[in-house]
Amino acid sequence: MNLPTTLSDLRVHGEHLLQFQVLGSTALRVQRLRNERKLGALRMGPDDVLAPPPRALARMQELMSRHYLEGRYANGVRKVAWVTSGAPWEPLEALGFFPVYPENHAALCGVRRRAEANCEEAEAHGYSRDLCSYARTDIGTVLSGETPVGRLPRPDLLVCCNNICQTVLYWYEVLAHHFDCPLVVIDTPFLYGEAQEHQVAYVRRQFDEELVPTAERVAGRTLDERELVRVMLEARDASQLWREVLDRSRHRPAPMTAFDGFLLMGPIVNLRGRRATTEFYRDLLAELDARVERGVGAVAHERYRVAWDNLPIWYRLSKLSKLLAGRGVNVVASTYTYAWGELAPLMDPTDPLGSGARVYLHPILNRSTGHKLEAMRTMVEGFSLDGVILHSDRSCKPYSLGQIDQRDQIVDTLGVPALLLEADHNDPRAWSEEQSVNRIEAFIEMLETAAS
Amino acid sequence: MHDTIPSRSGALAVAREQGRAIVAVLPYHYPRALLRAHRCHPIEVWGPPFEPGDLGALHFQAYTCGIVVKATSFLVREGFDRVDAVLVPHGCDALQGMGSVLGDFVAPTPPVLTFYPPRRARPADRAYLVEEIRALGRRLAEVSGHTPDEADWAEALAAEEAADAALADLYHRRGRLDVDDRRFYEVVRAREYLTAEDFTALAASLPEHDGAPDADGDVGLLLSGIVAEPLDLFDRLRAMGARVVADDLATGWRRVYPPSTLADPYERLADRLLAAPPDPTLGAPLDARAGLLVERLRASGARGLLIYDVTFCEPELFAVPVLRERVTAAGFGVLHVEHELGTTLPNQTLTRIEAFVETLR
Ligand code: SF4
Ligand code: SF4
Repeated sequence: MNLPTTLSDLRVHGEHLLQFQVLGSTALRVQRLRNERKLGALRMGPDDVLAPPPRALARMQELMSRHYLEGRYANGVRKVAWVTSGAPWEPLEALGFFPVYPENHAALCGVRRRAEANCEEAEAHGYSRDLCSYARTDIGTVLSGETPVGRLPRPDLLVCCNNICQTVLYWYEVLAHHFDCPLVVIDTPFLYGEAQEHQVAYVRRQFDEELVPTAERVAGRTLDERELVRVMLEARDASQLWREVLDRSRHRPAPMTAFDGFLLMGPIVNLRGRRATTEFYRDLLAELDARVERGVGAVAHERYRVAWDNLPIWYRLSKLSKLLAGRGVNVVASTYTYAWGELAPLMDPTDPLGSGARVYLHPILNRSTGHKLEAMRTMVEGFSLDGVILHSDRSCKPYSLGQIDQRDQIVDTLGVPALLLEADHNDPRAWSEEQSVNRIEAFIEMLETAAS
Repeated sequence: MHDTIPSRSGALAVAREQGRAIVAVLPYHYPRALLRAHRCHPIEVWGPPFEPGDLGALHFQAYTCGIVVKATSFLVREGFDRVDAVLVPHGCDALQGMGSVLGDFVAPTPPVLTFYPPRRARPADRAYLVEEIRALGRRLAEVSGHTPDEADWAEALAAEEAADAALADLYHRRGRLDVDDRRFYEVVRAREYLTAEDFTALAASLPEHDGAPDADGDVGLLLSGIVAEPLDLFDRLRAMGARVVADDLATGWRRVYPPSTLADPYERLADRLLAAPPDPTLGAPLDARAGLLVERLRASGARGLLIYDVTFCEPELFAVPVLRERVTAAGFGVLHVEHELGTTLPNQTLTRIEAFVETLR
């Protein structure tokens, strides 16, 4: 935390203390307790197609709301870093940075139906409608200041890691131009096959020569190795727990849906390395275990189990979830949510930067189309799936290119139906309700035929 | 001057006669002399624009850029049968998808080699790039069965650097050359497939004006983008009273690599790639790129910037608003148009360009 040295600093710190630490946090805690009570009291009615969401959702909402609330008062109190979702966060956490994940904020805009207006703002400034809709949402937010969270803090540092796509490189160049603050690029060569030593060494060297020194300079302090180890330990434990949470859906009926997962992943993306995050996933896991024990499924009558590939369609999350559940389809697994859990075994807290170099080279999006097919194949077998929905995401090319062949291979070699569903993760203008529902209905008929 | 420039097929036959393995190379940046030292010859595949794209559409969605769809189509239809390997440098998410899909799903194919140039030019990037070039060299040795010795390296570096110098010289002499834009770019783009010697001779053969060039009344443009196809574009610009006085094209000036003085061949190749003019596919910082474009607009006498982008090209599209802001602030006109890679120019595009040229008069 920055220490106040002037009167204006004192005012900023005072606001942070009063509005965030005292009033806001208390109100959110009270809200969470109420929500937990409400969720705990919910019972599935005869007409319900979905079980009530896990009670832990209330805690997740508190964690995320608290995070965005602190963001409003963070400038001047904590150094703020805007980072990509695959960025090596742990050294920044250990240095006390406040994180902003523009992708997560964009998704929030999507869920709250604010993305379209922000995309249009970016487009009015010349950003093509063909660009990633997260990027457009974020750039639109930056240009207009419009956000459902009240206010996003200005970055003191930008960290862009291209282990999810190259798009973020161009996007963060735009942010660097706008905010005129340091931009650290962590370049992670795409892995067409196994990682080679020179690729791992390259990433490690960028940690040592770029990320840490620049972050230390901006933070005005030196990275404490013990703190880094502690953060890495928390990050690994939370990632491991998240993976276990997702794996609970191997049970039949599955205690949660991937749509729940899309929401519950908020803390592992945004608040990795904190004790509260680890505890949250421990509680969630316990709740799911209790559901498994009682045989409670997330979908009232789970008949078909499918996987979801690619990002969610944020602005249709609830509708899609109900549509599928109403036909007995539970989306029990997703390549997207797994991305934040599958790398836990690579994390070694005794060698945070060394193991981090491997971890941050290996997200599914930095690996080949064949590897992604293999991941889906493993899911089909491990989760006893009846089919796969591949969201062909118009403005996310790295995730989508390759899906035509993946779909064909799933059908041909695994013998399960696979649907290529055309949409966009955050831009509702790319969604055609009638056409999409028809395609989903046809897919469900294929599941029925295959089962009979 | 050569009246007709040899075709890609002609160049391929010449390279085969010389005992070289043929490598189809996708855009953009790769160490050309490395291929030569390994007795390989690159023939670059930029679409081609006349390719229908239907076979590519079996692998890539409709929102994929034309270069990737058409190049895939072309390779599947006839390219794979004519080459010994395919090299897909990593330049963007679309090329990443292409390299991966070709390697993982499109069979049978000749070996698919990949190459990932770094997105910055820091010491760590340099050290990585040297190793990445070495790794590519090992793959090339498997393709051609040849590992270069010192003499191979000396010969390859001399020939390719002479060709690169000839390309740089073309740009240097541009104002004095007695050729129109279409011819200029036909020659520049012959670097994509001719042997180094043939390109060097071709470039040297372009005549210069006896007296002063007589294009004073023309509106000078700086043309930016990936690829200026179809070549008709240049004829149409001439008919509008405009000419291209400088470019920022991936198929042009962005591949005028400066020379290097380093002795080790791998370090030398890395040094030259890292010194390439600013290119978003190499992660060039946006503000620096915009600043340089303004300087080049001033130095070239251009009155405006024509940004001519392939549809769905993210690396280019992201930069447009900032380029527009900086270039406009410096007092130059800017027009951004997108085109589907193809053989005809839509009237609407031409009308917009014509109106733009008028405003610059
Ligand atoms: S949605 Fe896709 S293109 Fe956009 S930032 Fe994420 S990975 Fe990149
Ligand atoms: S045109 Fe653009 S998107 Fe297509 S391959 Fe080239 S850089 Fe990539």
